[in-house]
Amino acid sequence: MLEVRHVTKAFFPRTINEKIALRDISLTLQSGDFATIIGSNGAGKSTLLNVVAGRYRPDLGSVWIDDDDVTRLPDYRVARKVGRVFQDPMAGTSPHLTIEENLAIAWARNRGRGLRLGVSHARREQFREELKILELGLENRLTARVGLLSGGQRQALSLVMAAFTQPRILLLDEHTAALDPQRAALITRLTKQMVERYELTAMMVTHNMEQALTLGNRLLMMHEGQIIFELHDEAKKKATTADLMAEFEKLKGVQLSDRTLLA
Amino acid sequence: MITAIDLGLIFGLMALGVYLTFRVLDFADLTIDGSFTTGAATAATLIVAGWQPMVATLAGTALGLVAGFITGALNTWGKIHPLLAGILTQISLYSINLRIMGKANVPLLRSTTLFTPLRERGLLGTWVSVGILALVLGLFVIALVWFLSTDIGLALRATGDNEGMARAQSVNTGAMTLLGLSLSNGLVALSGALFAQYQGYADIGMGIGLIVAGLASVIIGTAIITNGRIWITVAAVVFGSIVYRLIIQAALTIPWFDPNDMKLLSAVIVVTALLLPRWDVFNRIRARSRDKQSVFDPWGDPDPEEVDSGDARPPSTGIVKKVKRADA
Ligand SMILES: Nc1ncnc2c1ncn2[C@@H]1O[C@H](COP(=O)(O)OP(=O)(O)OP(=O)(O)O)[C@@H](O)[C@H]1O
Ligand SMILES: [Mg+2]
Repeated sequence: MLEVRHVTKAFFPRTINEKIALRDISLTLQSGDFATIIGSNGAGKSTLLNVVAGRYRPDLGSVWIDDDDVTRLPDYRVARKVGRVFQDPMAGTSPHLTIEENLAIAWARNRGRGLRLGVSHARREQFREELKILELGLENRLTARVGLLSGGQRQALSLVMAAFTQPRILLLDEHTAALDPQRAALITRLTKQMVERYELTAMMVTHNMEQALTLGNRLLMMHEGQIIFELHDEAKKKATTADLMAEFEKLKGVQLSDRTLLA
Repeated sequence: MITAIDLGLIFGLMALGVYLTFRVLDFADLTIDGSFTTGAATAATLIVAGWQPMVATLAGTALGLVAGFITGALNTWGKIHPLLAGILTQISLYSINLRIMGKANVPLLRSTTLFTPLRERGLLGTWVSVGILALVLGLFVIALVWFLSTDIGLALRATGDNEGMARAQSVNTGAMTLLGLSLSNGLVALSGALFAQYQGYADIGMGIGLIVAGLASVIIGTAIITNGRIWITVAAVVFGSIVYRLIIQAALTIPWFDPNDMKLLSAVIVVTALLLPRWDVFNRIRARSRDKQSVFDPWGDPDPEEVDSGDARPPSTGIVKKVKRADA
């Protein structure tokens, strides 16, 4: 379970460049919730995910995972409970290590690290099984270096690495954005499978409205550091991209009228 | 010639240390010029004071570990740039090493060292000493490869390869930097302790410019033997160290060359080793034996194309350019 309590985050606070990226955001994800997040560029989506992952410290408010306050923990400690896939396919894997070594690093994420062999025989079999789900043939290339893989393959591997340890929270930040439509569809399908298979609690940022509607049981729309619109289970199922577009349009109206008021 | 192999093996430990920081951890650590001498100075001083040579050697190694830890602490906790952190420790060690020795030179000729049994039998610089040292180095190579394959070792490698990924996988990258630097400088100090006993004295200036020799070994070794597998790479580094000593040895037979020209020569060797791949020499040599593959040289300045494509990092962020290419 994830709880974000009244989080505010500003970049360059109290300077001329001050940019408030999150404004008093509160959010609760129950165990098994899968929330998709949409919103215009600069809305604060990535910032929110970085705050949850412990990479950014909020200025105000707190983040709780399973009733533990993780607000002040360093990011690598939070990572024991949180799996991440980044937009950049290169970001989530280690290029000079082999596929199985990358998986071994992920395997140890929430188990701690000692002087045991990273890739033992038993673990290798487990990794093979995990990779089979992808149907990309990676299970036969366990000793290939990850730098040799294509972006799509690396992203698929990143997804497995983030998910197969069954983290308490899975964070996905536009993780299909850098891929061609076919690969993006594949990764989207795999994401759905993974989340269901491991019963994960997940947050996924996307600019693809259809993806946002078809995946998950909750939808959040962000704008200027706030969650301005939410859809839950039934309502989400019924909603269409046209509805979402209408919400976006409304925003523009608000902005306009704000501006006219100020003028 | 055989003496050169002996030396190549002893300095091979130092090269392994350099490999650990420069290549595995991607940390340009200049501490080693100092920690090599620290190992030598400590071992020599303690041996003269009547300590068991083995214990004295281990003590020198331990001080090297500490020196590496300090550089790591300056970098991870003090947020000091790797190059500067290394230089600061190195220069402090110069004073400390003089304190340890009490003078600029400690002779070991009348003391019992680890090499005394070999020396008395006239076996130093023969295939017997080469065999024994090769055995020792083999053990270190195996130990290092094993360590780099454990969970902690993988975390260490990931820290140098993709720090963001490592942290996202709950690797405490600061701790890994401390660990890697400590181990590296421990190896370097051990190498220094052994070398002092081999040559029969410790000298305050023995570590100067050593980093160049270390880099030369790593570059030569990994340029001649290109293979992604970690154990081959680690072995190649020791091999590179031997080749380097053989080159030096060969150069010293040139009539007007004297040992003081060694530092200049070592720099020339590194420059040559860096430039040869660009002129495709290694490639042509290798093409004869194995299938052709383009050489990617991780030491040079990245081209703008490489930076834009994400293959390499801008030169300002590290000494070794970060490569995401298949053939790196
Ligand atoms: N590291 C940073 N330093 C300074 N400002 C930042 C930083 N990261 C984000 N910002 C600012 O915070 C605001 C929110 O950025 P954020 O990256 O969270 O947006 P986003 O919703 O993810 O947008 P996009 O859809 O473009 O990815 C933006 O105005 C951005 O300029
Ligand atoms: Mg973003």
